[in-house]
Amino acid sequence: MTIALIAGSGMAGRAAALTLRRVGWTGEIVLVGDDPEYPYDRPPLSKSVVIGTADMNKVIKPAPEVYEQEAIDLRRGVTVTGADATAKTAELSDGSTVAWDALVLATGCAPRQLPIPGLDLPGVYRVTRLDEALEIQAVLATGPKHLGIIGGGFIGMEVAAAAVAAGHTATVLEAAPEPMSRPLGLEVAERVLLWATDRGVVVRAGVGVEQVSGDDIATGVRLVGGEEIDADLVIVAVGQSPRLELAQQLGCEEVVGGIKVDAGMRTSVADVYAVGDIAAFPSTWADEDRIRVEHAAVAIGHGQVAAEQIATGEGRYDDLPSFWSDQGDLTLNVVGVARPDDEIVWRGDQALPACTAFYLREGTMRAAFSVSDMKTLRGVRKLFAAGVSPTREQLADPAVDLAALAAEG
Amino acid sequence: MTQVSIGSLSDFPEGTPTRVEADGTALCIVRIGDTVHAICDDCPHAEASLSEGDFLADDMAIECPLHGSAFNLATGDPDCPPATEAVEVFTVTVDGDSVLVDV
Repeated sequence: MTIALIAGSGMAGRAAALTLRRVGWTGEIVLVGDDPEYPYDRPPLSKSVVIGTADMNKVIKPAPEVYEQEAIDLRRGVTVTGADATAKTAELSDGSTVAWDALVLATGCAPRQLPIPGLDLPGVYRVTRLDEALEIQAVLATGPKHLGIIGGGFIGMEVAAAAVAAGHTATVLEAAPEPMSRPLGLEVAERVLLWATDRGVVVRAGVGVEQVSGDDIATGVRLVGGEEIDADLVIVAVGQSPRLELAQQLGCEEVVGGIKVDAGMRTSVADVYAVGDIAAFPSTWADEDRIRVEHAAVAIGHGQVAAEQIATGEGRYDDLPSFWSDQGDLTLNVVGVARPDDEIVWRGDQALPACTAFYLREGTMRAAFSVSDMKTLRGVRKLFAAGVSPTREQLADPAVDLAALAAEG
Repeated sequence: MTQVSIGSLSDFPEGTPTRVEADGTALCIVRIGDTVHAICDDCPHAEASLSEGDFLADDMAIECPLHGSAFNLATGDPDCPPATEAVEVFTVTVDGDSVLVDV
């Protein structure tokens, strides 16, 4: 029988396994993940899970029995420790060997390590896995806490905003002078930061972190220069880096810090696919030859396309990239590929409750950022689909119907 | 499968998504003329109530108020990311003035 081995049970790997069955593939599916939990959605971890408002049936999905029903051999708490592209075999940490016909690399990212002491103290947490988010949830459930959050990226800011909205307090410590300016650009990032601080999140940007303080348990964070930031718990969210070791062992070609794939998620090695965080994929929406994106919707799309390729030899990934970040009561949506040095055009004023900015490169719209302005966001999607880029004046004027412009072509 | 009465036609303003609970299931109801559509009110992507979103007449879809995926009222399929799963669609029967849903 034909065997598809999927290395990694995150959102991309899970999507690949479920899609293989959805399109009627009848081979054997082995889905291997180092996480001991059943596969789950990762985005809620830093939002509803940490503050305990998540419906866990909507986080851990599909229901555990689905794997048996769909004849997916899910191996939890297991990793692929080695693979051979010529023999088409793989060794697993459970001691077994799998002879695969197709191999999907969905190894995701590992949290970046901070070179500071104190990280192994009790009271220091990460938000990369469900069990870690549940540990934070258990602490926050015992009463109002002050969170010291190292890292002012989306994850750190999401945890801070969710915690503050739930009655806790939070101080975010970010090494870069302008948090979130790399994904959002300075002008938009400043606006998002302002909204966060308006809501009570304390953000200290441009600060170095020297150590997590405490003897038996974390009591705070010491900044470079000696200042002590007290905290009841410390959360480390300083980014992640793609896990490429398995792909490298197989000899897959690398580019832009990831594994080079074509639009069918095929690597340079026959019958080996790379999906999700590790995939450097072509996109008609980007200037670059390949891009790498660490966001959920992209990971799922990759997994689906790899499965279609395995099952039918067809399928291309060329979705308009998009991501979202829920920060307390604010939901940020970004569609397109934004670059930090893009020109920003705001639509109307820059005030909440609904707010949109466009990213232009050489006068052409390349991305849009929006908070609670679904009509504009929908218009933007239609513009991208139609290949229409309005003028700065049209984009800036809230009275201009973007969907209508797209329909006019 | 049970058929549950969720009210009368006049309870549902034309083209305005309305949330109802039917036998423990949260539904998003949209009436267009004498036709009534029912889909699951919970966005399959993240925690959002679809009845708080807009009805898109051109697409015959409900747009999630949080992240913008629009779900077709007939098929339940989302038209764009971030949602990737269809929302459940329920059969609606209009009997005279009363609206019944199979849940």
